[in-house]
Amino acid sequence: MLINTVLMFLRELLPLCLLLATLLVWHRSVWRSFALYFALPSVLMLSLISLRMVWISEQLDGLGLELLYSFLYLSCFVLLCLSALKAQWAMLSSALAAACLFSISGSNLLLYIWLPTQAENTPADLVLGSALGAGIGASIAVLWYYLLSELKQWRIQSFALLLSLTGARQVMMASALLLQSDWLPAGPQLWQTEQLLSEQSELGFFLQALMGYEATPSLSQLLLYLLCFGLLFWCCSFMEKKR
Amino acid sequence: MRSLRRYLVTVLIALFTLISFVAALQSYKQSASRAEALFDQDLQILASSLSQQYQAGSQQELGLALQVWQKGKLVYRSALAPQTSMSDAEGFSEHNFAGKRWRVFRQTPTDLLTVIVAQPLTQRQQLADEVITASIYPVVLSLPLQALLIWLVVSKALSPIKRFSAQLSSKKANDLSPVELDQVPAELDQMLKTTNQLFARLADAFEREKRFASDVAHELRTPLSVLQVNLHNASQQWQRSGISDPEGSMLALQAGVERMSTLIEQIMLLNRTNPEHFQARTEQLDLAGLCRQVVADWYPQIEKKQQQIELLGLEHLSLKGDAFALRLLVSNLVGNASKYTQVGGSIQLELSNEQDKAMLVVQDNGPGIAPEEYNRVFDRFYRVGGDRHQSGTIGSGLGLAIVRDIVVLHQGSISLGASDFSSGLKVTVELPL
Repeated sequence: MLINTVLMFLRELLPLCLLLATLLVWHRSVWRSFALYFALPSVLMLSLISLRMVWISEQLDGLGLELLYSFLYLSCFVLLCLSALKAQWAMLSSALAAACLFSISGSNLLLYIWLPTQAENTPADLVLGSALGAGIGASIAVLWYYLLSELKQWRIQSFALLLSLTGARQVMMASALLLQSDWLPAGPQLWQTEQLLSEQSELGFFLQALMGYEATPSLSQLLLYLLCFGLLFWCCSFMEKKR
Repeated sequence: MRSLRRYLVTVLIALFTLISFVAALQSYKQSASRAEALFDQDLQILASSLSQQYQAGSQQELGLALQVWQKGKLVYRSALAPQTSMSDAEGFSEHNFAGKRWRVFRQTPTDLLTVIVAQPLTQRQQLADEVITASIYPVVLSLPLQALLIWLVVSKALSPIKRFSAQLSSKKANDLSPVELDQVPAELDQMLKTTNQLFARLADAFEREKRFASDVAHELRTPLSVLQVNLHNASQQWQRSGISDPEGSMLALQAGVERMSTLIEQIMLLNRTNPEHFQARTEQLDLAGLCRQVVADWYPQIEKKQQQIELLGLEHLSLKGDAFALRLLVSNLVGNASKYTQVGGSIQLELSNEQDKAMLVVQDNGPGIAPEEYNRVFDRFYRVGGDRHQSGTIGSGLGLAIVRDIVVLHQGSISLGASDFSSGLKVTVELPL
């Protein structure tokens, strides 16, 4: 169905678009180099994952793909911290962080397009759905870019805050996959906000892409999220002080 | 924002894309939801229609009319269907019965069996409308949102131009400092640079002009004073030595030097009161008191010419202005009136206020000036009659030019007219309170 294709593309592209827009605001003056450093590893990693996807899925008792994605999400977070701490590595680390997220999104989309269940979708559905999803994601990214540029001029801390939220979101995604694979103890469920703000609603969708909104988080997820958010925020503040 | 064009193009395209796509998705979801409801309704109707067949005497309203004919005999009809055949033509057609217009479909699968189904046209249109309306609503509702966002984006994009314009309009006449803006877009950058360069060149030119006029006048004043003293001494010496001056050369020389001295004084005053240079120190002052002081200053000359002078109107008139400039204004007007009015003439000053304006009228019963000269007398170095001025009074042709500059400085107005006396000039000055 058309709506499924749109949602699939949005789910995969929106977080990537938001991260790219945020990082472009940061590295505006060197955006060409940033684009180059982002494009090369992205294509390389996506090709590797796509070509070896079946083999990867079969590893580690069938948890290979989930654990690889978790690793890439965590790498994305670590690279963001590194880019905040080391000014000389900032651009390269940021580009690699975005490339990690791109390889996850890209391989998921390729998987969706070539899945046998795709037979239910007509080619028109797929083309229109992907155009709608990509268009919405790109539009939000453009608006997000200009909003962040404004915020950065008025309040530098707001940029650090949003970057930290985006970074912590990657850890949240990794933790969800690790929980699913039983590599992370779930712990008690803390609250249930599905009725208040559903993850499937427009706002829930956006918040999930931006800051990893979870309607039913577990204790371990929340602790990990807060820890990583604080760590990245501290790194960003450290970067500002060094300037 | 580096470029207004890039900002506007990218943000507006992003906004249009986002809102249109979201509206399209909403239309899709709502239409799908309505279509789902319609299909469910069809299922309900079909189920009810079939159940009737097994419930004898049931006359439940279905919305559909159904007839089954077997070997030309009506074997089944729903509650809304008539006793007669709803249609004789195979396929789709439209007919009237039971007070409504119906869309009818007749199918004859075998020679012996005919099934006729009919649906009211109004019901079909209503259902179609529901689906179409559901798909149009999000598009229509998104329009005000688009308009609001376009307004915000365009306002944001044009804000540097607005700030630039506000800074220019808030500048005082003598403020030639550069305009400073944060985040100057590429399109405005050159305009701002050129404007600031123009201000800088203008400031330099004014400064040079001011310094030149001031320096020339100052440099001339000292030798002229020496010349006046020497001329006075020489005149005294001629008198003591009994040298006669039948052609009045010495007197003409003295008059020429005095005129030049007056001219230099006036040039310095003109330079000082020029709105482009003058740094006004506005304060609350009493114009009536200031007029009395000026009359007192000029009184010796007025008495010498046996003229009558009177100050009428308000005894106190408070306004905001520069004391030095206003005193010079009144002094020039009274001085002109005294100089160009004949011996024994009359001069009148009148002060009044009207709403938010102070009015000073100075008039005399001198020869006056022709109405066609009214505008020209404010020109620098212009004297009525030129060098052949008949009054024989020493003047520079700068007095009224200085008066006009002072009036402009105070954002007032000045006008000339015929005096209320039988002859003479009437000068009316209006100043804001």
